Amino acid sequence: MNKLKSNEINQLVEEVLDSAEKSTVNHTQSPNVERVHSILTTDKATLQKWFYLMVLGRALDDRAPKYLKQAIGWSYHAPYAGHDGIQLAIGQVFDRNTDHLYPYYRDMLTCISAGLTAEEIICNGISKANDVAGGGRHMSNHFAKPEWNIHNVSSATGNHAQHAAGTGRAMKKYGHRGVVICSQGESSVSEGYVYEAINGATNEKLPVIFVIQDNGYGISVPKKDQTANRRVSNNFRGFKNLTILHCNGKDVFDSMNTMIAAKKIVLEEGHPVIVDANCVRIHSHSNSDRHELYRDDYELNYVREYDPLAKFRRLLLRYKRFTEEELVAIEEQVKEEVKQAHNKAMAAPDPTPESIFNFVIPEPYVSIKYPDGTHNFQGPPKKLIEGINETLKAEFRHNPDTFLWGQDVANKDKGGIFNVTKGMQQEFGPERVFNAPIAEDFILGTANGFSRFNDKIRVVVEGAEFADYFWPAMEQLVDTSHDYWRSNGKFSPNIVVRLASGGYIGGGLYHSQTIEGALITLPGIRVVYPSFADDAAGLLRTAIRSRGLTMFLEPKALYNAPKAATPIPDDFEVPFGKARIRREGTDMSIITYGNTTHMCLEAAEKMAKEHGASVEVVDLRSLSPMDEEAILNTVKKTGKVLIVHEDKVFGGVGGEVAAIITSKAFEYLDAPIMRVGATFTPIGFNRILENAILPNTEKIYKAAIELLEY
Amino acid sequence: MKDIAVIYSFNTRQTKNAAKEIIKHFGNAVKIDEINAEEIDGPTFMKYTNLILGVPTWFDGELPNYWDEFVPELETLDLTGKNIAIFGNGDQVSYPENFVDGIGIMADLVQSRGARVVGYTSAEGYRFESSRAYRNGKFCGLAIDFENQSELNTPRIKKWVEQLKKEFE
Ligand SMILES: Cc1cc2nc3c(=O)[nH]c(=O)nc-3n(C[C@H](O)[C@H](O)[C@H](O)COP(=O)(O)O)c2cc1C
Ligand SMILES: Cc1ncc(C[n+]2csc(CCOP(=O)(O)OP(=O)(O)O)c2C)c(N)n1
Repeated sequence: MNKLKSNEINQLVEEVLDSAEKSTVNHTQSPNVERVHSILTTDKATLQKWFYLMVLGRALDDRAPKYLKQAIGWSYHAPYAGHDGIQLAIGQVFDRNTDHLYPYYRDMLTCISAGLTAEEIICNGISKANDVAGGGRHMSNHFAKPEWNIHNVSSATGNHAQHAAGTGRAMKKYGHRGVVICSQGESSVSEGYVYEAINGATNEKLPVIFVIQDNGYGISVPKKDQTANRRVSNNFRGFKNLTILHCNGKDVFDSMNTMIAAKKIVLEEGHPVIVDANCVRIHSHSNSDRHELYRDDYELNYVREYDPLAKFRRLLLRYKRFTEEELVAIEEQVKEEVKQAHNKAMAAPDPTPESIFNFVIPEPYVSIKYPDGTHNFQGPPKKLIEGINETLKAEFRHNPDTFLWGQDVANKDKGGIFNVTKGMQQEFGPERVFNAPIAEDFILGTANGFSRFNDKIRVVVEGAEFADYFWPAMEQLVDTSHDYWRSNGKFSPNIVVRLASGGYIGGGLYHSQTIEGALITLPGIRVVYPSFADDAAGLLRTAIRSRGLTMFLEPKALYNAPKAATPIPDDFEVPFGKARIRREGTDMSIITYGNTTHMCLEAAEKMAKEHGASVEVVDLRSLSPMDEEAILNTVKKTGKVLIVHEDKVFGGVGGEVAAIITSKAFEYLDAPIMRVGATFTPIGFNRILENAILPNTEKIYKAAIELLEY
Repeated sequence: MKDIAVIYSFNTRQTKNAAKEIIKHFGNAVKIDEINAEEIDGPTFMKYTNLILGVPTWFDGELPNYWDEFVPELETLDLTGKNIAIFGNGDQVSYPENFVDGIGIMADLVQSRGARVVGYTSAEGYRFESSRAYRNGKFCGLAIDFENQSELNTPRIKKWVEQLKKEFE
């Protein structure tokens, strides 16, 4: 089949010709890497430590399936055998005093090499309460030790690349000398968010080493089905401020030298590095995969032959650095150690069922002065936009560890698409207030990573220009919502996500969405939605002072609306989960929030004038947590409930409110609960369509009359 | 002509086939020793003036283990005065970015220790993107592609052996 034409695109490999002149040639793929270690020169104690760690790792890796067989645990196990060289090197180069490490689910040896003990590994594997990664909450084989900055990461492939960039950004902002090491498989690089992370890291010159462990497969998918280049790192050749190093991840020395070089480049040249380490996957992807279904005997055989541990052992003997007896002695020592670790882990306590509600979300900041989030301050009314802007500024003055980023948030006089952050960059400088690329996932993902740098930090992000564009960030949001729980309270993402939300501006499908219905399904985050300037200011202050993540939804149609303007005490605070009665009444209750609060107040006023009806209007303000007490109290008082929100009735927050009432206050109801909200359609651009779709005062009034007359 | 050592791994399939064919084309005019690369050591290597090394490329541009594990020793040898020819298997369709890199890596190594690399061949008739074996329009050895051009193996090997007969001492 000689159809191949003569070669037209060959290129001279300059480095090869150059290196041929040097005394020693780099026989590996990273020509600029200094040969710090070699089988002939590395001191014996170091070699011994490496061999010990590698044997220990493999003993545990090989043992893991036994726990599953005996129904003890470890039901997710992704064996690392074949990645030994690079994993040893990552762990050796990582310095827990200065660096941060984001391992992935195959990084057992990485974590052992970074210092995790056999007992810690097994306790994670069999999900014990004392598992240092997360007390048995996260999947097995997801090793971590947050107190050493070995982060507890998601199982969503490559998702932590953005956290790594975020931590790198924090290191840079704080002038901290260290590196972030992010590790993942080559297939996961196909995820768009990994590109966002590397784009951001190179653009901002962040101190991150992205290690790609290339074993040729994503489960059963060969890498040719992932991307055109054989080496996925070569996809990044066009990126500026980036060094790409290839190494043999099956070779201890090449891996060590490459990781040492990578760290040096990051620290000295101040830009990120990709280390692309060629590995083999000796076993199936995980215990639920059967690789003999897609790999032939030839391949199954050669991956075994390329076992990195066996190679290292051969080298130690061949170059007479160790005797067979010495190596056997180390192997025996490991056996004993694993036995003891096993016994300790088996005796360790399991997590208790009662513990499930621990660490869902951190306790919020407690307001001493405004415990119910109301005030009697008299002063000139301020608009909602001013309330937000001034609170942001006040909090940034109050706390130097506050940062804000998002799209369009900081360019001269432009401060956000709606100018909510106007003047912030001028006052707090570009180090604390700055623009982000159009990559919503990255905006939130870096906020997560940034706040991992230390717990004092508070990040405020404009999550998207419009809530409609927040969906690309849902991946990071869902993951971030788990972090506190998954790490058993070891890491709290301290973030406020601001989103200009909702319709009534003739914005159509992409400038009108309000997304709280989707958001409140997530445990681990708070969702607030003020409708008046004072509540916006008070909730924002509480959110910025609290640990944990708060989604701060801003009804953008009200930014400048006189009806939303109120006097605002300078230090106002509104606790989460505290509704506010905006109008007292006895005949019926309208429970609402956001844009529709004002419509409900108008409808209530009309009801009073035209029917003499006394309608109570309760503004929830906070959707998660929700003020159940206030809801039940108003039902008990009036016996009739109309729930109103701008979001769709189907799948909207009102369904939860209604369910709370029927299950806890059914006997107080004198009429069925009614609901008004958007139709179950997208939001049309033509004002006629928008009006037909979204609720308004008239629709609310009609429903209220109907309820009143029931 | 002085004796020739043909060093390759006896555990291989393709490399072994190529080695056998190379030896066959030399005929009986010269003494050829076949040596298993899995067991090669410095003293054996140093016995010969003319050496032919079988170096296939593995894992996107790597030497196979048996060569890689010899490299630390190789780097201590003084190869001045030796003529070294390298043949190597590669697959230009599946691995066009690293086609027969192993030949180039090995050539660099032995050259840096003073050896003369012989047996350069034209890169005409191959199609690839980059190769560490590619120098000024030529490969610094013989590239053999069993996967895609097996019918060209025999003519390529024959021609190469004729060339080596002239270039070896
Ligand atoms: C995992 C693997 C990686 C390979 N990588 C390369 C490569 O980078 N460049 C190349 O030219 N050929 C590459 N090849 C092709 C081999 O060199 C080719 O199959 C050769 O015939 C193997 O020879 P052997 O079986 O005698 O070792 C690779 C083959 C395999 C199985
Ligand atoms: C976002 C996401 N999609 C799919 C999966 C399922 N999944 C788990 S591992 C894996 C393959 C990843 O392959 P690679 O990144 O090459 O790493 P390897 O497991 O080979 O080390 C896939 C698809 C996942 N965990 N996360």
